[in-house]
Amino acid sequence: MADHGDANPENETSEAVAPKALQDSDLQYIQYEASKEEQYLPAIRQLISKDLSEPYSIYVYRYFLYQWGDLCYMALSPSNDLIGIIVCKLEPHRSGTYRGYIAMLATASPYRGRGIATQLVRQAIDAMTARDADEIVLETEVSNTASLKLYERLGFIRSKRLHRYYLNGNAAFRLILYLKEGTALKRPEHVEHGADMGAGGMQDMRRVDEAEMYA
Amino acid sequence: MADASSSRRAVSAQGHQASLVSDNAGPSHAQESAPAIDAPAHANLPLRRSRHAVGGVQAKMHDITEKFTRASLEVGQLVKDEYFTLFESIGAIEIMDPKMDSGFLQPGETLEDDYDTLTPLLPEELIGIMDQLLCYEMAWHTGYPLSQTLFTSVHIVKLVWTEATVLGPQFYRGEIPEHRRPGPLLEVLRAYCLAVIKGCDFVIAKITGRDYFEEEDFCTHIYNRVLLVSVPIDVFLRELDAAIEVIEDPESEINDGVRKAISARLALRKDYLRALDLDLPLNQTSYCWPPILQGIATLKNTHQLGQSVPGAFSSKMQRRLASTVPPRPIVELDFKDALQKLQHIAADCEEATRFIALPQDPLEYQSFLWHFASRSPPPLAYARAYLSTLLFHPDNLNTSVSLPLSDVKTLVFPASPVLDSMNWTFSPPRSPLLPKPPRLQFAMLMDEFVERTGQPFLDLWVALGQNRCRLRRMLTHVITAWDLLQTDAALIDTDISSAAEELGIGEQVMEFSLSTWVYHKKLWMIEKVVLLGFEQDIYLPDEFAGMYLFLSLIATRRKELLKRVEAHYLVQANLFLTSRKLREAQEIDDAGLYLDSLLAEAEGTASLALALARFYILLLYLGLLPLPKRPFGTEALRYELRMKPFLSLSPPEAPAFEDFRTHTQPYGSPSSPSTAFFEAVGKADSELWAEVDGHVKAAKAAFAEYKKMGVVAAKAEGVEKAWGKEVQSALASCVALGVAVAGVKDMVVKKGMDGGKEGWGMKVEVPEAGTGKRYAEGWVVVKTHKE
Repeated sequence: MADHGDANPENETSEAVAPKALQDSDLQYIQYEASKEEQYLPAIRQLISKDLSEPYSIYVYRYFLYQWGDLCYMALSPSNDLIGIIVCKLEPHRSGTYRGYIAMLATASPYRGRGIATQLVRQAIDAMTARDADEIVLETEVSNTASLKLYERLGFIRSKRLHRYYLNGNAAFRLILYLKEGTALKRPEHVEHGADMGAGGMQDMRRVDEAEMYA
Repeated sequence: MADASSSRRAVSAQGHQASLVSDNAGPSHAQESAPAIDAPAHANLPLRRSRHAVGGVQAKMHDITEKFTRASLEVGQLVKDEYFTLFESIGAIEIMDPKMDSGFLQPGETLEDDYDTLTPLLPEELIGIMDQLLCYEMAWHTGYPLSQTLFTSVHIVKLVWTEATVLGPQFYRGEIPEHRRPGPLLEVLRAYCLAVIKGCDFVIAKITGRDYFEEEDFCTHIYNRVLLVSVPIDVFLRELDAAIEVIEDPESEINDGVRKAISARLALRKDYLRALDLDLPLNQTSYCWPPILQGIATLKNTHQLGQSVPGAFSSKMQRRLASTVPPRPIVELDFKDALQKLQHIAADCEEATRFIALPQDPLEYQSFLWHFASRSPPPLAYARAYLSTLLFHPDNLNTSVSLPLSDVKTLVFPASPVLDSMNWTFSPPRSPLLPKPPRLQFAMLMDEFVERTGQPFLDLWVALGQNRCRLRRMLTHVITAWDLLQTDAALIDTDISSAAEELGIGEQVMEFSLSTWVYHKKLWMIEKVVLLGFEQDIYLPDEFAGMYLFLSLIATRRKELLKRVEAHYLVQANLFLTSRKLREAQEIDDAGLYLDSLLAEAEGTASLALALARFYILLLYLGLLPLPKRPFGTEALRYELRMKPFLSLSPPEAPAFEDFRTHTQPYGSPSSPSTAFFEAVGKADSELWAEVDGHVKAAKAAFAEYKKMGVVAAKAEGVEKAWGKEVQSALASCVALGVAVAGVKDMVVKKGMDGGKEGWGMKVEVPEAGTGKRYAEGWVVVKTHKE
């Protein structure tokens, strides 16, 4: 998703400023629920938009959280502060696959380098696998080595480079993890030539998702 | 607006690129004059289009307060229909959030910019503004919207506010008192600005006239403004001439250096505008770019004479352009960088003009397109559209001999009776029930094939005109189209063969000639896709071996195919010699040159790819390449994803995973290789090492041969330098690989396997793409370092 990589989920080199004594077992990972919006959404927005030049409106968050709140996981510190977040969606893709998409991932900077983002991604993958996803995709900036490493260690591979993908002019890699055999051979059930692109300004979605239609 | 944009979509969906270029590409056949009138300025704004026609419908107001109150929504509950997309949610802005709401005012902030465009300027300030305008113009060329670049200039925006009046666009509106009238320097700035605006109009028309990707390659938004589309170029040139006169007037009290600097800027702008002119005759294009390249130096040397006028540019202008887009930062480009971009555009366009002088040969065109696309730095959208316009110029495409046919002839039908011009002189028998003469059948079958192949053929050329990332992805689609073409070609081949048998000249026609030609082109494209993947760092180091192995497999297929053609040439040449048809024999001989060149290149590619594959297999077993743990997914699934673009092809069939694994992992799992590996790798004279060395040697020999045969044989005369460089870098990659292999071998043999990786003290570095650390971007050769 746009500038999602900027959130720099996990920087191996950055020194954790957080209390060193903090044990990983002190951290809590919980699933988001719609009833928690008032409690968590302000913190989620703050965490995600910290490194973004252009913040997402509240509708973007609600778009994901209202429809796929169960694919959103949060990491909380012992004092119950939000220190990590992953936001996803899962729906049939025009290519014919049931496609999961990691839209946002961020860890609070003092807590980076402890595998929190990795843990969040693992939980999201497990959740999407349980819900029968064929594949999981995401984009990240080509220069975001930390993010690339994180996903590639887990099993994602790069499928394409997207020229000037972000508003700042930077390129992205599309990363994909196949979960099921035969995913590459899936085809849309009914192809309405051109017509399926008609609704709702799909042509601009490449900033966010679905760049698949271009290649 | 809704109608305008949906009709545009419909138009481009019918366009010839519909399957390749999404409708995001905008109008694929835009009319030259189109952009200013036609571009639906709102179509790409994050506005939700009404699904009902707006025109003519009387608006009705409904009070929904009560319904809304009754609805009692939960916090966070989203009420939306199925047409509300993620894109639309992203387009939404929050009023009163300064980062999103462009109308939000900080305490004391004014809505409009208060710079007065009639403020008199110092000559130095004139230079400052001109140079700043060039910076923004070039930033726009690199892909940023006008709203973040040129349209931040208060002067420019004033001039595009309305279509020209009698006096032409002015920095003021309506009547103004005499003492407020702009002085000579403001008039000079006005002339300069007008030329900048007209230049933008030309650029947009050129780019939208070809296939490109909006916002990715370029932003054509003009925010409902009119870029003086209907004013002819002469008007702008006259304004610039008048401005030059004003500046060079000895009466004016301008310091000489400053005067010259301003003059040079006006002169360059004139040259540039002329070069951008859409109606410039073909035979003048090659003269229009060199003056720009020459003019750049003067600008560079006199930039410091200028004085910036920060007030003349403002991000507040965005508020007038589009109120529904969050405020975005002005894109700052240094003047030095701006000149570099201008130089880049002019040099690429100058190179593109050489296309006109190429011999009329589709294979020369193909070489030219490939090498143009491979230029470093990569050509910007304008230069690509510029070349593409020349390529698709009617004078160029309307040749007497069809371009695909001439391509086919070169490879599979030299001196062939199938293409004998006599064949086209036969008339069909009066009665459709009578059989057609076989020669007439040849002609009809070839016509059918040429017709069928036209689109896939042009698709390849269109793909070669895209940015590098798109080129790789678009080629995979072109390959699929050529796969279908091959099926059709095979049917026509059968008919050609039976017609040839009927004539008793079966041996003069190679079996499956047309399919061979299609297959050859298809394999060539697959090779390019894999090489582009390496160039774009798509593959991780532990995937190198597998992907190079696949590349080697494809190139070997192509080589074998070419061998078949070669065998046919031999038969044909002998037939001609024995029947004393010397001219035909000579034709075969000539065709043989190109064939040999292709063979050498295919051999080089296959061998180098195989050498790299073997070497990377070895490095993986030695633990010298990073191997991620990958708790999710499986090797088979990753292989499926890698082969996705090729799974539907036949031929070539992507190898089955088991096959692939056997070949990439001959010694078992990379993390625990069998003892056979350790035995082999520890001996300098083992077959393992001999094989790698052998392939490196074979590759070097083949590329050297290819180089020796030269640019004429390779049909790359038009790009001699670039071709030479490409061959040289392939050779250099062979040498570098030889060195890397020797380094690893010595280390392992000397220090043995017992100490393992730690004992060797060796590090392997994978050179990153695009950093100048590779001899050839597609041939990734690691460097070894002692630790």
